[in-house]
Amino acid sequence: MSLTSTYSLFKESLRLALRSLQSSKLRTFLTLLGIIVGVTAVIAVVTIINGLDSTVASAFSAQGSTVFSVSKQPLVITSREDFIKFNKRKDVTKRDAEAIQRLCRSCWRTGMSINGTGLVKFGENRSENVSVRGLSVSMFDIENVVLQAGRVWTEQEGKSGRNTCVIGTDIIENLFPGSSAERVIGKSIKVDGLPFVIQGVSEPFGKVLGFSRDNFVYIPFETGQRLFGARDSIVIHVQVEDSNSFETAKDESRSIMRNRRKKRAGDDDDGFSIDSQDAFIGIYQNATSGIYFATIGVAAISLVVGGIVVMNIMLVSVTERTKEIGLRKAVGARRRDILMQFLIEAVAVTMVGGALGVFTGYGLAYFLSLALGFPLLISAQSGFMGVTTSFVVGLISGIYPAFTASKLSPIDAMRSD
Amino acid sequence: MTTPHVQTDTQEISHPFSSLIKMRDIWKTYQMGTEELHALKKVSFDVTKGEYVAIIGPSGSGKSTLMNLIGCLDTPTKGEYWINGEQVADMTDDELARIRNKEIGFVFQTFNLLSRATALHNVELPLIYAGISSTDRHEKAIAALESVELGDRVTHKPNELSGGQRQRVAIARALVNQPSILLADEPTGALDTTTSSEIMNLFERLHAANNTIIVVTHEMEVAERAERIIMIRDGEIESDKKTR
Ligand SMILES: Nc1ncnc2c1ncn2[C@@H]1O[C@H](COP(=O)(O)OP(=O)(O)OP(=O)(O)O)[C@@H](O)[C@H]1O
Ligand SMILES: [Mg+2]
Repeated sequence: MSLTSTYSLFKESLRLALRSLQSSKLRTFLTLLGIIVGVTAVIAVVTIINGLDSTVASAFSAQGSTVFSVSKQPLVITSREDFIKFNKRKDVTKRDAEAIQRLCRSCWRTGMSINGTGLVKFGENRSENVSVRGLSVSMFDIENVVLQAGRVWTEQEGKSGRNTCVIGTDIIENLFPGSSAERVIGKSIKVDGLPFVIQGVSEPFGKVLGFSRDNFVYIPFETGQRLFGARDSIVIHVQVEDSNSFETAKDESRSIMRNRRKKRAGDDDDGFSIDSQDAFIGIYQNATSGIYFATIGVAAISLVVGGIVVMNIMLVSVTERTKEIGLRKAVGARRRDILMQFLIEAVAVTMVGGALGVFTGYGLAYFLSLALGFPLLISAQSGFMGVTTSFVVGLISGIYPAFTASKLSPIDAMRSD
Repeated sequence: MTTPHVQTDTQEISHPFSSLIKMRDIWKTYQMGTEELHALKKVSFDVTKGEYVAIIGPSGSGKSTLMNLIGCLDTPTKGEYWINGEQVADMTDDELARIRNKEIGFVFQTFNLLSRATALHNVELPLIYAGISSTDRHEKAIAALESVELGDRVTHKPNELSGGQRQRVAIARALVNQPSILLADEPTGALDTTTSSEIMNLFERLHAANNTIIVVTHEMEVAERAERIIMIRDGEIESDKKTR
């Protein structure tokens, strides 16, 4: 068959398809619902996760994968049994940190933190749920805390357990509205009722997924121990100079710690946990891949249901138009012409659904990105995927009705009434 | 089949175009439960180019069945049928579609137009399946509509046309591919007397323009306008004679 005639037939089929789409808008919409839902789900989730990925990537890369922590309990505990088990472990202490600093050769910087939350006040102004952390001086380097005003306490000042602090920008906003960083230096605020003198103000870290990372008060480690109780478990932070020695440093630290906990080769539990941002990324990826698979499930179900609906509607349409099919055959339509007509109709229907789904999917992602504060990363790829999927669904659900139509004998078809 | 019969066929095949239609011992049998219903029995006849033939007979005699066989809408249970020298029994589905498209123009009692398409698009339909480009299609369809005096109704839809006009659209559709034969099964069956004679006049003009026409009817007045009348009764040809 020549190109022009294929094109003519294609145009005729498309014309018919659009006509039958228009003729009953409600029926068309109901037909398309499954496809729209399926494609919307895919597009929205792909777009949202793209946005989350970029947020998370930028949040983590700030720290670099050169830092790990040693603590009593892992960052993420997934069961009650684990919680009980980890709770029985020995506390991680300042002595452990000193041991790592002394013995670990691949470790570059070590720091200590003791972490809690508290209520911070200045006069009538208050800030709740503030992250209050006792930090060794080295933590400012490890966590890349840069001050915009004032200075960090010295080792000496820290050891003497002074009530001094470095604050995040949210604290200025909440306690000294309208004030500049320079002007709050030297002011005395109350942290859980105790007076602390502001000695420095950090540059802002910004928000991740709507959560501020600037609502903190950093105090000297020794002061923190006094505040939270000296017997609380601390967190040891280790930084390597070069990410190539990251695993070696972890291994060294692990064996130092196991030695100190008198663990044998056969003992299951280390008695402490080593975490790094890899763990965060792993958790994040686990969560998102879970969402991915759930969505693919939802999408697959709606597409299958949508496909079945389209197939049924097409079968109805074939029955309704039996006479027309007979006539077309009587004036020279071949089987494949009729087959193509109905396939094109099915594909046109599902692709309209797919296109609608792509738009609603992007729309949904847009509103969620506004609500949760992550960038909207619209990928042409996901749109293309949505349209392609609906194309395939159209082909699959159209094939049987189209085949049924193409097999009708012209005479039987025209006689039907 | 007898030996002399086969000889005639051989002779005929050496001049394939001497008869446009050639049917030999055609049977059409329907299986109704355990009984066999012979809608057509041992039908044999020829139609040559340019002839104007009427097929007449009482209701249920098998006229439509025969027309559908001639028009390749249906296949015989038994017998041989050549159209333009081509043996129809040997044809694939696609070849039958091509024959219906190129060699035959069918006019139905109930018009069978696409209700939502314009007169023009209805007439264009066979051209679409003939693979003709849209500009040529447009031209030819307009010409066909003009030939049935509907040049001013091109964009009308069937429900915006009278019965006679609808049938003329159907005739234009049948003629648009310049088929070898025009087949009409009771073309005036759904029309009043004046409109009927209008259509019959049109057929006469088409015949004068050297078209081959076969018309099915059960009205003698309609049949008598043809040059030849084939009478069928109970599926068999009862008589086959020239009117003039
Ligand atoms: N598909 C079919 N199955 C069974 N019998 C059929 C079928 N088609 C036609 N017949 C029978 O074949 C016979 C001839 O039918 P046909 O339609 O050819 O008659 P006709 O001469 O055209 O009649 P009319 O003038 O009423 O249109 C009838 O007895 C009819 O019942
Ligand atoms: Mg009939």
